[in-house]
Amino acid sequence: MSGDGSGGVSSGTQVALVTGGYDHTIKLWQAHSGVCLRTMQHPDSQVNDLEITPNGQMVAACGYQHIRMYDLASANPDPVMNFEAISKNVSRVGFQENGQWMYTGGEDCTARIWDLRAGRPFQCQRIFQVPAPVNAVVLHPDQSQIMVGGQSGIIHMWDLKTDHNEQLIPEAEASIQDIAIDPEGKMMAAVNNKGNCYVWSLGGSPPRPVPRKHLQAHKKYALRCKFSPDSTMLVTTSGDCSARVWRTSDWSLLRELRHDTQRWVWDAAFSIDSRYLFTGSSDSYARLWDLEKGTLEREYCGHQKPITALAFRDQAV
Amino acid sequence: MATYDNKVWLLKNIREAFIATDDTGLCDIVMAGEDFSKIFQNKALEEKKKLKEVSLYQPSTSKIKEQGSDTNEEREIVTQFDAYPDIEDSEEDDLICGSYIRHEDFLPHRQRSNTTQWLDKKEQALKKAAKIKVIKWEDAPTQLTAEQMAETFVKMDIKKQEKKKSLLAEQLEQCPDLPHRQYLEYAKFDGTAQLGLPIKSFKIFMTMLPEKHQNYPLVVCVIASAKIKDLIGFTCYKYSIEHPEISLGSVHDYGICIAEDDGEVDLAFPCLDANEPCSKFGFTCLGLIDLKSKIVFDRATSSIPDCSVLSGAFHVFPKASDSGQSHHNTSRHNTGGSSTSEAVRSAIKAVNEEKRAGGLNLDKIQAHIIATEAPQCKVYKVHMLRKVRTNTSVQLVVSLDRIEVEPLITHKHAFWSRSKYFLHSIDSVAWCQILESKANKTTFRIVYSPSHNAAFNDRTTGNSNFFHPNTTYKFHDFECDHDTAKEIVEKINTILDLRNSPCRREYKTAKDKKLQTRRSFHVKHVS
Repeated sequence: MSGDGSGGVSSGTQVALVTGGYDHTIKLWQAHSGVCLRTMQHPDSQVNDLEITPNGQMVAACGYQHIRMYDLASANPDPVMNFEAISKNVSRVGFQENGQWMYTGGEDCTARIWDLRAGRPFQCQRIFQVPAPVNAVVLHPDQSQIMVGGQSGIIHMWDLKTDHNEQLIPEAEASIQDIAIDPEGKMMAAVNNKGNCYVWSLGGSPPRPVPRKHLQAHKKYALRCKFSPDSTMLVTTSGDCSARVWRTSDWSLLRELRHDTQRWVWDAAFSIDSRYLFTGSSDSYARLWDLEKGTLEREYCGHQKPITALAFRDQAV
Repeated sequence: MATYDNKVWLLKNIREAFIATDDTGLCDIVMAGEDFSKIFQNKALEEKKKLKEVSLYQPSTSKIKEQGSDTNEEREIVTQFDAYPDIEDSEEDDLICGSYIRHEDFLPHRQRSNTTQWLDKKEQALKKAAKIKVIKWEDAPTQLTAEQMAETFVKMDIKKQEKKKSLLAEQLEQCPDLPHRQYLEYAKFDGTAQLGLPIKSFKIFMTMLPEKHQNYPLVVCVIASAKIKDLIGFTCYKYSIEHPEISLGSVHDYGICIAEDDGEVDLAFPCLDANEPCSKFGFTCLGLIDLKSKIVFDRATSSIPDCSVLSGAFHVFPKASDSGQSHHNTSRHNTGGSSTSEAVRSAIKAVNEEKRAGGLNLDKIQAHIIATEAPQCKVYKVHMLRKVRTNTSVQLVVSLDRIEVEPLITHKHAFWSRSKYFLHSIDSVAWCQILESKANKTTFRIVYSPSHNAAFNDRTTGNSNFFHPNTTYKFHDFECDHDTAKEIVEKINTILDLRNSPCRREYKTAKDKKLQTRRSFHVKHVS
């Protein structure tokens, strides 16, 4: 479908929902109507993670050996930038809040910083080696620390300024699948392949993680965790075909988001008011849930194969 | 024109081929400074200059012998380098036009080769790649200073998150349920921007909508594995997105028919099988029709043979050339929605009524007898007409599932007049009609398709043999007295209508199409 819809993402200031997965395509959706505005091509690889740049103009997709950036404003189905020379799968991508640099993590057991500033006297490419493939990378909201978690079950806290790093091992013989830090920088959560979720407090200066909660979030493989923008909720998604939303106040279960046809839930994203949640699933549907009512509001159908990544950018009014 | 014995041309083309087919771009880099065709060309120019100088500054003939050898050498060099005088022109050519396509000139029997197509594809990929900025990971050459690090990795203050109102929430409120949601499951058959999946595009006329919405076909692109029912669903999905003000019905109410370029749907032809994949059909122009009105229409058309049986009037085919005008054609120009078929229905009703008023009760009874007796096996003695030989007396057996032609004459010694035994499954019989009525004889024709005899045998494959674009039809002509001929034709037609086999439908369509083209041709001429 053409991208000329009136609600199209034109200036990077609008609402944008982007999904990608095993069918080697990335789809841009009109979030409120559920109409696919554009399909972009992601050749030769599934999409492991999607992230919209801080200025809202591009979306970064990472897959096998590449990180590709697509222009959200144009109708170009091809990437405009291609970051490469990585030997294996890139599992996560994210941006510094001003868009100065990009961070990635992948199966080549590294986390990397890519300098995105053009025309600088020095380029700042940095690499952080860990002993096992990296599944999760997250940037602390203060932009100075990166958490790197992976197959070994260790979370490395990498201080970018000092290069100093600390390690956390929440559970032996379990791989870290995802790490999240709440927007206020007070909590850190990690989920592992056993379905367990660990939460730390990051209060104090320098932010020292203090174990706070262990949740048996799912009975199976957990895939993602994310805090809501208002820090009152944590969503965990899993191979048990559900996404669960937890209250951060008392760690009780607020909602369990299930659907008859829903399969593995690979990714999730909150709206800016923390009321709505998008999920992407192996049944090739993305869904929009109203967390207040617990209802399914929209379904996004168009992918041929499982959706493994989604990115959402909301706009405050 | 360049030839293969031209060294420069060959060099140039080999070089271009290397560059064009190497998607890593390495060839381009390696050969960047080494365009031998150009080097040779420059050399040729230099040599020419030299030669000129030589002839200018050494005009004397005193050293003929010495110079002569030189000149010969130079001439040799000139011919060696200057083999292709048009090289500048050819450089203007597009890479592809300049070289690869020329294969066609030399090898006319070989169509545009896979290699050429592959080269085209490669070139497109290269062009595409040229637009993509590639950033390769490079390890930092030097360690950054503390200041540089501090500049890049500034610790930010975390702002307190205040409650924000979401634009998404606002849009959701303003945009309640949309009509396309009921067709959402079909959205996944979207074929646009698919990588590596075969796709198919169709122009679909929404014939079930009021006329003002039918002007333009909807262009839809689906993945080739989508079934016809998925195509219907996706069409509804796409249409309801583009025209949310128009509400469409359930996808089960719609069917897809073959349409002409102008959107005219041939309703005499059945809808495409909803469970068949789109990839099976070669048509690009289709019409979405309302099945309810189609059913009404079907009933209407099927009632016409009854009429014809009633009066016999429709059965008069005075000339073979008019045979295209079957009774089914009387209504086939009515194309669209329910309103037209309604009109047809009333017209048919009127015709029927008229006949009833005529009080042809005897014929009616006769027709009834024919209809009820049709399935019964009956044997007729008729003459089979032959083009070159004499007519032979045969026994024609008509039953519900077959037509047999059995020779009766026993000229066993005369091999030229020996006629064959024919057995046709009724599903391979496409047509039967009276050709000509003479003083005491009537000739009639049975049209059959040999290929459908085979199709009949593996009927389990469903409609897979449905569309034979090049089905050939053969026929047998017979002759007998008026009444018997009429009876046979009516009997066979009743059975054919009863069976409505793919062969018959196909034949009818082919016939209609022929007629249609003839008519449109005629119209074109008139206008």
